[in-house]
Amino acid sequence: MKDHLQEGSQPAPSSPHVSVIQEIQRRQRIVFWCLIVCIVAMGVLLAAERHRERKRIEALADQMPIDAPTAVEETVTLELASDADGTLRPETRQIALPQATNARVKALLDHLLAYYALPDSAHALPPGPAVAEVFLLPLPVVGYVASPLPPGAHSGTDSGADPASVRTTAPVSSSDPNALQPRQPGGELAVIDLLSSWVNQHPSGVEVESLTLRSILGTLHANLPQIEQVRFLVDGQTRETLAGHADLLRTYPTAHDNAMQTGGNDPGPAKE
Amino acid sequence: MNALRNSILAALLTACLLTLAAPDAHAQMGAASRGPATQANGASAAWTPQPSVSISSVNASAPAPILINRRVVVLDPAHGGSDSGAQISDTTVEKDVTLALAFRLRAMLTARGFTVVMTRDSDAMASPTPGAGELTLDDRAGVANHAHAAACLLLHASGSGVGVHLYRSELDAAPGESAVPPWLTAQAAWIPQSSLLEGELANALTRSGIPLVTGRASVRPMDSLTCPALVVELAPADEDVDSMNRTDYQQQVARAIAGALLVWADQVQAPLRLSSAAPAMNHPGAGSSGAGVQP
Repeated sequence: MKDHLQEGSQPAPSSPHVSVIQEIQRRQRIVFWCLIVCIVAMGVLLAAERHRERKRIEALADQMPIDAPTAVEETVTLELASDADGTLRPETRQIALPQATNARVKALLDHLLAYYALPDSAHALPPGPAVAEVFLLPLPVVGYVASPLPPGAHSGTDSGADPASVRTTAPVSSSDPNALQPRQPGGELAVIDLLSSWVNQHPSGVEVESLTLRSILGTLHANLPQIEQVRFLVDGQTRETLAGHADLLRTYPTAHDNAMQTGGNDPGPAKE
Repeated sequence: MNALRNSILAALLTACLLTLAAPDAHAQMGAASRGPATQANGASAAWTPQPSVSISSVNASAPAPILINRRVVVLDPAHGGSDSGAQISDTTVEKDVTLALAFRLRAMLTARGFTVVMTRDSDAMASPTPGAGELTLDDRAGVANHAHAAACLLLHASGSGVGVHLYRSELDAAPGESAVPPWLTAQAAWIPQSSLLEGELANALTRSGIPLVTGRASVRPMDSLTCPALVVELAPADEDVDSMNRTDYQQQVARAIAGALLVWADQVQAPLRLSSAAPAMNHPGAGSSGAGVQP
């Protein structure tokens, strides 16, 4: 028995192969438990991120507009230019326009100029946003002068300031006989602020530049007849020409009797 | 001694009176002598004062007549310098075509006895304003207006279409030229003459068998010119875009234009000079359509 115990207490002679297996199994156990820990940690992290994202979306929901968009598609007329014959042709489209007039003008022009950026356009223009902003001014354009308040007028403050020193602004019509005048009551002047990124890529040429401007003017006149005159800015500044030819300093009437006297390319007698 | 003093005073008084009576002559001489950018001398330019008409009832100070140098033509080769204009083809830019056409036209006109004023005769011209860099569009208009020319031709080029495109201003015609015309609409008083000039050139080009397109456009700085003004846009002769560089084609166009201007020199008439009492631009087109408004 002693011998047996003594014999049994001694480790059985083992081969090197067996010890390597035992060592690998120990490392595998370590890796296994590490992976378990990582999986649990990722699960916790995922749950925490999910919870945080849900809170963020719920916070965004509070900033959503209360009223659902009400813009409906309307029938508009686009005056589409063609470089082939140098003409404009009206074409009706169904597009959704916002209610505010400024936004309507911008949306209309965005739609018109985006059409010209299509690959098969008859009047190829660069893609991308073209109109930064549209401003509408009632005609006639009036100025404002600072004038002292009339005696007895309430200055709007209780500070006890000297009424003579309190000045207000009053609209005055221009004394210039060439001042912008409306053709119809309610006529407006649209100031279209173009983006230089679009203007700088516009094709150069008398006809192609004139067609672009006439297309804009014709489209505005067809859909918003109260806009009688248009001025153009580029990045908020005046600019002499669109791409070296068409005048951007002048004020354009939207309804011009001779708007389309630019002839086509047909050889032969003059088109006028 | 008194007699000597009296004679000196009388001489001084006479000199003063002569000085006061001569400003118109000085003004005419100054206007005729103000130097354009580049002149090709043909025959001596003769100016023709046109009768002035005051639309006010009675005006003691009659406005000065509008001068026209019938044998002076202004050529404005568009673009130049850093402004290349349109890229017509891989090897052709607009500024080179306009300058080449201007040189041919200048030679033709000089041979016919015209004095030709060119706003540029090289790639880029310096502005007459010191330190202003290249010639601006307003500088070009100033050069042209100082010449009191019988015709001002703004030369452009385009790769689209064929033949020659003629454009005149989109401004509505004004009944006359005010004493101080608005810069951006100065052409309004000259619209009738520009229209007649367009017809003359159109007839000549059509007779020469050159395809022609006419129209109206707002091209800077045409609306600031105080002379019969047109945009002459050269397009290719045929389907080949580079055909506009052909010498024979440009010669044909220049010959037709020069011939038309020879006829035109005897027809041109200055617009009426409105008195200063009259509204500067009080014509229907100015306020109604907005085409002639001064921003």
